[in-house]
Amino acid sequence: MSILLQSKELEFGYGKRFAAPMNFELQAGEVVALMGRNGSGKSTLLKTLSGKIPALGGSVEIGNQSLNTFPATELAKNIAYISISRAAPERMTVAEFVGLGRMPYSNFFDGRTKEDLRIVNDALALLQLESFADRNVCELSDGERSRVYLAQAVAQQVKILLLDEPNAFLDIPWSHQLFKTLCQLASDRGMGIIVSTHSMEYASKYCNRVMVVDCESVPCGSWLEAEQKGWLEWTK
Amino acid sequence: MVFANRRATVCFIALTLLGFLFVYLTLSAGSVDVRWSDLGWRRVPYDNMQQQIFWEIRFPRMIAALLSGVALAVSGLSLQTLFKNPLAGPFVLGISSGASFGVALSLLAGFSFGHLGVLGSASVGALVVTMVVMWVSARFEQSSVLLLVGLLIGYFIDALISLLIANSDAEALRVYVSWGMGSFGRLTFDGVLMFAVAVFMGLALIVLSVKYLNAARLGDEFARGVGLNVKRGRTLVLLGASILAAASTAYCGPVAFVGIAVPHLAYKLFKTSNHRVLLPGASLCGMVLCLAASLFGTVPLNAVLSLVGVPVIMWVVIRGKKGY
Repeated sequence: MSILLQSKELEFGYGKRFAAPMNFELQAGEVVALMGRNGSGKSTLLKTLSGKIPALGGSVEIGNQSLNTFPATELAKNIAYISISRAAPERMTVAEFVGLGRMPYSNFFDGRTKEDLRIVNDALALLQLESFADRNVCELSDGERSRVYLAQAVAQQVKILLLDEPNAFLDIPWSHQLFKTLCQLASDRGMGIIVSTHSMEYASKYCNRVMVVDCESVPCGSWLEAEQKGWLEWTK
Repeated sequence: MVFANRRATVCFIALTLLGFLFVYLTLSAGSVDVRWSDLGWRRVPYDNMQQQIFWEIRFPRMIAALLSGVALAVSGLSLQTLFKNPLAGPFVLGISSGASFGVALSLLAGFSFGHLGVLGSASVGALVVTMVVMWVSARFEQSSVLLLVGLLIGYFIDALISLLIANSDAEALRVYVSWGMGSFGRLTFDGVLMFAVAVFMGLALIVLSVKYLNAARLGDEFARGVGLNVKRGRTLVLLGASILAAASTAYCGPVAFVGIAVPHLAYKLFKTSNHRVLLPGASLCGMVLCLAASLFGTVPLNAVLSLVGVPVIMWVVIRGKKGY
C-alpha cells in the first residue's frame, strides 16, 4: 500500500500545541478513526493535516512534498476537509453544491464539461441523493446535509478525505450507511480517510486503525492495540 | 449543478426581447416625433432638430439607463454574494455614499481629479469607502457589523456633504441638488464613451472573479478548500463593484434600489446560484428595469424605482430564509 499523507514531528494548535510532536502515515485504502475528548484538538489536527491552518512545528507531506509548497488548486485535487457544522448555503440546490466539487478542475470562468456532470451525478448516486438534486441545501435536515457535504468531496475526486464528526447529526441507520460508504470509497478508489467520531461502535466496526488525541501524544494503531495499551481508558 | 436549463434560456430570451422593446420605446418616446429614416449617423452640426434631440438627449438617456442598470445590478449581486447578505448593496454598504461625497467635493468644493473630473472624484470616494469596508470585513465575520458600518459611513458622509453645502455658492448648490435627485437624462453624448469604459472595466473585474463568486457564499474556508485564491477574488469583486457603483453614481446621481432589489429578481427568475447565469441575468433585469423607469420622464427617477424596489425588499424580508 502507498502512503498518501505523512506527518513528521507535527505540532498542532493555536499558539499552544495540543500534544507532543506526532509522526503518522495515512495509507491508501484505509479508514482511520480519530478519537478524543471534546476540546482535545481533533478538529485542529484535521485542519492542520488538510493545510487549512499552519503547523506549529514539523511538517505535513503528500508524496514527500510539503503541503505548504502545493499550489492551492493542486492541494484541492488531493485533499478535502469536511466539517458538518458548516452553515448551509442559501439559494443553492444540492446538485449545484455538489458541483462545486469540480471547481479545482474547471476553467477560469468555472465552466463544466459533460465529464464533470457525470462525476457529479455519480457522487449524487453514491450518497443516494438523486431525488434531492433540485432541492435547496438549506431546506434539508442536518443528516441529509451531511450526505450532501460528503457527496461534494466525492465529486472533488480527492485521494485524502478528512471528515470532522460526519455522523454527529445522522440517525443510526444512516450512520452505519455513512461508514460503509467511507469503507467503500477507501477500498474501491484507494482513498485514505481520517474520520473524527465519538462512537466507539462505528470506529471499532468500520475503521482500520484508531488515532487518539490526548494531552501527551497522538498514538495510532489497531483497535486491539488501542485497547491493550489503554489509549481509550478515558472513555470509561 | 444546473449548467444551462430551459428556464434560464426562456428568461434570457424574454429579458433580451423586453430590453430591445424598452430601448426602442426610450429612443422614440417624447413630445417630438423622430422618424428613424431621417436620423442617419450623428453629424455635427445637425441637419434638423429631430437629429439633435435624438443624438443629444434620447440616445445618451437610453445608454445611461442601460449602463446604469447593468452596473448597479452586477455591483449589488456581487456584493450580496461576497458578504453573504441579501441586503448588501452599494448603497447599504456606503459605497454609493462614498461616490456621492466624491461628486460633492467636485461640484461643491471644486476638487477635480485630472481629466476624469466627476467620474474620477466618484471613483476615489467609492474606493476609499470600499477600503474601509474591506478592512472591516476582514476583521468581523458577522455581516450585520458590516451593514452597520456601511450605514454609519453613510451618516458620516451625509454630515460632510452638509458642511460642503453650507459653504458653497448658490449655483454650485443648484447643480449638486439637481445631480442628487438622480436622473438618466444628465449624461451627454460626449460622456457616453467614458461611462461605457468605466462600466466595462468594472464588469471585467467581476467576470474575472466569477469562479470565486460561485464559492464565496460558502465562506472563505470553503473557497480555499476548492483551490481558490480568496484574497485575489475578494479584491477583484470589491474593486469591480465599487467602480460600477461609482460610474453609475457619477453619471446618473444616486440611483436607489436597483443594486439591492435586482439581484433578488434575478434569483427568483433564474433559480440558480451559478454566477455564470446570474451575472448576465441580473444585468438584463437591471437594464430592463432602468429602461422602463426612464420612460416616466416627468416622475423623479428614484420615486419610480422605489415604487418597484420597496415591495421587492419587503418580499425578501418577509420571505426570510426560504431559499429562492
